[in-house]
Amino acid sequence: MLTQQPLLPLPTAPEPVAVRPARHWRLPRLPAAGRALIALMFPLALLGAWALATRYEWIAPQILPSPTTVLSALTELAQTGDLARNALVSFWRVVWGFGLGAALGLLLGVGFGLSSLLRDYVYPLFRAVAQVPVLGWLPFLILLLGMEEALKVVLVAKAVLVPVAINTDQGIRSVPPQYLEVARVYGFGRWQQLTRVILPAALPGIWNGIRYGLTNAWLALVAVELLASSEGLGFLIVYGRQLFQLDVVLAAVVIIGGVGFVLDKLLSVIEKRLLRWRREAF
Amino acid sequence: MAHAATLDIRNLGKHYPVSGEPKPVLENISLSIKPGEFVSIVGASGCGKSTLLRLIIGLEQDYQGEIALDGQRITGTSLNRGIVFQEHRLFPWLTVEQNVGLGLLNSEQTPAQRQKAIQEHIDLVGLKGFEGAYPYQLSGGMSQRVAIARALVNRPEVLLLDEPFGALDALTRNYLQQELQRIWEQEGITMILVTHDVEEAVYLGDRIVVMQPRPGRIKRIVDVPLARPRDRGSYDFAAIKEDVLQEFGDGKLVADLALRRPDPLTAGEWHFAW
Repeated sequence: MLTQQPLLPLPTAPEPVAVRPARHWRLPRLPAAGRALIALMFPLALLGAWALATRYEWIAPQILPSPTTVLSALTELAQTGDLARNALVSFWRVVWGFGLGAALGLLLGVGFGLSSLLRDYVYPLFRAVAQVPVLGWLPFLILLLGMEEALKVVLVAKAVLVPVAINTDQGIRSVPPQYLEVARVYGFGRWQQLTRVILPAALPGIWNGIRYGLTNAWLALVAVELLASSEGLGFLIVYGRQLFQLDVVLAAVVIIGGVGFVLDKLLSVIEKRLLRWRREAF
Repeated sequence: MAHAATLDIRNLGKHYPVSGEPKPVLENISLSIKPGEFVSIVGASGCGKSTLLRLIIGLEQDYQGEIALDGQRITGTSLNRGIVFQEHRLFPWLTVEQNVGLGLLNSEQTPAQRQKAIQEHIDLVGLKGFEGAYPYQLSGGMSQRVAIARALVNRPEVLLLDEPFGALDALTRNYLQQELQRIWEQEGITMILVTHDVEEAVYLGDRIVVMQPRPGRIKRIVDVPLARPRDRGSYDFAAIKEDVLQEFGDGKLVADLALRRPDPLTAGEWHFAW
């Protein structure tokens, strides 16, 4: 019998590939001051254009007050406590509305995702109701709930519920069936399947819904306060407009934009932590 | 060492409804596998070999005939049977350690015992130091090794392998075949490997079950009486490989081998797994 030696040595164990350590920050490529300058390039340009436009009165100062006027309006609002009071009122409305809407939206989305019965019977109606903009419900809800806090909270909650429910449903329906087979092989019960496979796998979708929801909450709140409120940041805009104090209007706009930006930033920080297992494409 | 079980398959048949008609996928499969044996199953696409594995693991039901593990009829999944799929199917949101731990989620061990078992199996597949890595940080071969650790961690009596190395490059594949053989010898459990790769089947199997398609039947069972570790370049090895390849006669498998590339599974069609 003829046994032949292999011509080539058998492959040996490949060296374990060095993996990128799980690091959640990037090395700075520029000194901090340089990076801040780049980040502020567009905001500063806008501010410059605004200052020039008022300086040379390209737009009437009654319509577009100068940045310094707006700044002094802001300081005044801050000193009298009007700013803090109104901002706090708006803040709590968003907190309650967002909490309520996100919780209900999650429940509804999980229901749609898991139960074909619920999807068949309730989902079409849900989509139809979702098509009506928040303000479409306003006249009816004013009569039903009055002008008090409940009205704002309900409308904000509606604005949050819709994207959260839709994205949760989508996220759950796109869970790969292969993962559920793994769960069956290891004898997962229904609760384990939900909490250890379905929800984590759907989390990127759910999280998208929550981010949309928070943005929507803030937009809906300001809209509702513009139309039906006697306090809050939206009301501050109405108040300023009625007195033709455009500096107050713009001060409120700056604050609303700033708060919205901070809220979104906050969520993206949480997202970095929550979805750290995802490889970032860019 | 885990208890290794005897697997008895008698007159097994399986049908899938295709446009309203029951279409036979497997017909009259009879096979008895001894404790601690390594059986390779080869065959052209559509011969039902993946369906056979899915029936043994318990992901498919409603079969005719009998599949019994130590005399117990199989009626669903159980922790005494483990499987490694073609794709690693690790959960991307869990680390290596947590993924391996999934296999122990429903075991009756204390947390300390679990931790020990998890670490032992990570060491077993040679991934010490990668406990905290996420799947996206691993290569294909490393991921498949984690999947093997996950399948072994609760000490199943039978380990099923569904083309586990099919998607890997040749070097990694050869290396993992050696590793699998080492693990099999060390653990002493029964293993059933489905593969397209005749060389892999000869290298690893005590016996090779050759299947033919439409409907899936056993064509022949070839013994591999070679001592381990086997020399892929030896005359005897080549002779057995040639013998198995001959079973495909019209060269159908050879064509399949050249074309083989698994389709990605989609939700709608996964149950047509032949």
